[in-house]
Amino acid sequence: MTSLKTHSIFLISAIFRVGLILYGEWQDAHMEVRYTDVDYLVFSDAASLMASGHSPYKRTTYRYSPLLAFLLIPNSFLSRSWGKFLFSASDLFVGLFIHIILKQRKVPEDLCTYSLLIWLFNPFTFTIGTRGNCEPIVCAILLWIVICLMNGNVLQAACWYGLIVHFRIYPIIYALPIILFLDPCFFQSGVKPLLCDWTSDQGKTPQINSEVTDQCDVWIAFKSIFTRSRILFGLVSGSVFLFFTGFFFYLYGWEFLHEALLYHLTRTDPRHNFSIYFYHIYLNYERELSILEKLISFLPQVIVQLVLVFCFAKDLLFCFFVQTVAFVAFNKVITAQYFVWFFCLLPLILPWTNMKLKWQGLCCILLWIGAQTHWLMWGYLLEFKGKNVFLQLWVASLFFLAANTFVLIMLIRHHNYSPVFRRHAGSKTTLKSE
Amino acid sequence: MAIRQCNQLCFYQKLAILWMFFSGAVSCMLVVSSSSEVEMRGPSHSQHSGARKYIVKSYFEKYENLCDSSFEDFMAHELSSSLCQVFPDNRNLDVRLSVLEHSLVGEGSHCHLSSSIKLQIEADSIPKLPAHFCEVIIIQRLPLGVFADPFELQHLHERKVFTNVAVFGDTNLELPSFRSNRSVVEVHMDAGSNIFSEQNNGLEMNIELPLHARYQPLDESGYSIVEIGEPDVLLSCSMEGKQYNQSCLFMSPNDSAKSRIGAVAWRIPSGMKAHTGFVSVVTFVTAFLSTLSIVVTSIFCSGIKVSKNMKQS
Repeated sequence: MTSLKTHSIFLISAIFRVGLILYGEWQDAHMEVRYTDVDYLVFSDAASLMASGHSPYKRTTYRYSPLLAFLLIPNSFLSRSWGKFLFSASDLFVGLFIHIILKQRKVPEDLCTYSLLIWLFNPFTFTIGTRGNCEPIVCAILLWIVICLMNGNVLQAACWYGLIVHFRIYPIIYALPIILFLDPCFFQSGVKPLLCDWTSDQGKTPQINSEVTDQCDVWIAFKSIFTRSRILFGLVSGSVFLFFTGFFFYLYGWEFLHEALLYHLTRTDPRHNFSIYFYHIYLNYERELSILEKLISFLPQVIVQLVLVFCFAKDLLFCFFVQTVAFVAFNKVITAQYFVWFFCLLPLILPWTNMKLKWQGLCCILLWIGAQTHWLMWGYLLEFKGKNVFLQLWVASLFFLAANTFVLIMLIRHHNYSPVFRRHAGSKTTLKSE
Repeated sequence: MAIRQCNQLCFYQKLAILWMFFSGAVSCMLVVSSSSEVEMRGPSHSQHSGARKYIVKSYFEKYENLCDSSFEDFMAHELSSSLCQVFPDNRNLDVRLSVLEHSLVGEGSHCHLSSSIKLQIEADSIPKLPAHFCEVIIIQRLPLGVFADPFELQHLHERKVFTNVAVFGDTNLELPSFRSNRSVVEVHMDAGSNIFSEQNNGLEMNIELPLHARYQPLDESGYSIVEIGEPDVLLSCSMEGKQYNQSCLFMSPNDSAKSRIGAVAWRIPSGMKAHTGFVSVVTFVTAFLSTLSIVVTSIFCSGIKVSKNMKQS
């Protein structure tokens, strides 16, 4: 009965997405305002160029791996909606992987279902794929990496990780937590690691799992950093990354390196966006920022990332989630598509929160949406009404950072810290019963 | 348990494959029912065999950046060899092109530049001419601070709004005004066939060019005024026959009509230098406070030994 419900959810989601894609085609053809994302047109153009044997970087503003253009080559000869179907399929795979991860950790069926619904029927997420944005592919690969790690398949996880970092730079922030996660206490040669199951005893305030932390704390992790799993992961993922990067550098030269990699590492956009730094960048754009100024703007990001990793690495999914929220919030450029990066992880941490929807949860949701809406209002006045509201817009971005910080703090405070793995029982190793 | 999970996974895989097949079928339906596929992007090229190439392209083959004085020289002198000769039997043929109206429609950073063009052909008698096809060419020089999106214009071309359209010069969509150069838009609009074969023929057409504002240099007033002058308008005709083996141009006889209308002014918001100091300080202080909040919360709420010792002390 419950599996029938899950199947129905997937079927309805799939039909809904197909419907949205078809509607999007109609809107593009009949209305001046397109449904399709501008980025999708960029990908399609780059794919057309690649299909004709040219560099995809001849298309201005194409700043992605050539792999993306390659995936969309069928846009040129099959249907221009091919890419949207691909991204929406990835969207469904994310839902599938969420379900698998939660099931593997013995989360009850009703919680699994709610978590699934949060992803599959989140307006942010189903519009992203159907409008032609490629983020669902990244989310699907990321969750597959988590599944591989949960099953002790370090080699496969490393291969996918190298690919995903080549495809989209931001997953590099997960490198350190994954390394810490590959703890020799759990990853032993020839033995599948044991998962910590979800339990009904989740009502208490943050538990400190002393059994895990006393034995396998950060200091010991630092001392035993060079383990087989870690070296294997580092070498394989690094090799895969270098292989793809080197191959495309051979094909497309410096243009590829600059547009697909260096641009993202050095990007400062003076145009208005959710980031608190946009107005500071615009006001100082005519002069070169000093090294000190660049460092000061980089420090909050680095400090927060390091602290979150060292505090929560063992609870890998929660660590990924808080890292991603913080990364997006402190980034120099924030666009709405970045929110998908942590939306795919939100369903995976909710079963371990003791925050109630009424009223703490609702407060967080309304505050986050409210801060965003407030920013959008000023953004609309600036961009579509031509009012000089730069200062108000910048203040709105400060509020948005404050809202992100508040939500992050609330989630941290109400999270039941739950490492993914537990130790094998005694000297007689007991394999994971599932 | 493992077998059950495996079965579930297999089912999901089948569901995914079924879904992909369904999607592929729908995609094929879209291919069959949709109009022609989008071709490679880039400046459009005329479909008509006799139409001339873009005029502005010749300018940019000679000059790197747009300069009004050199462009006016180019229009006055370089194009003279392409002007249509007076037809032997039709000395009294008078072709006049004028801009009736020139205005900015819309608000904010995205507006439409609306221009109303009048083509007036006057002749004492109907000239005897072979079949000919004409198009009106509108050349809009854009100032610094404003740009046209070539891909948006391409979309309009596909929707048959323009016969041909191209952007020359600085087509970077992202740079602010003070880091970019000027650009020029050349639009071709169909004026019809055999328009000289009717006595005293007239044609009015309206074009709306979508334009976007770049980020402006800082200004104390908080606004930057960008002026957009009138377009240059020409008529390009292609005629069949041995005597006329390529297209030729008609230009307005003088510039007096232009100065009547004048430039349109676009008021674009800009940052204010007075904000620089305190915006930077408050930005970094806010970032620092957020960082501190998250770090403190993480350390006190995480499961590491250090937090336990700190709490106990």
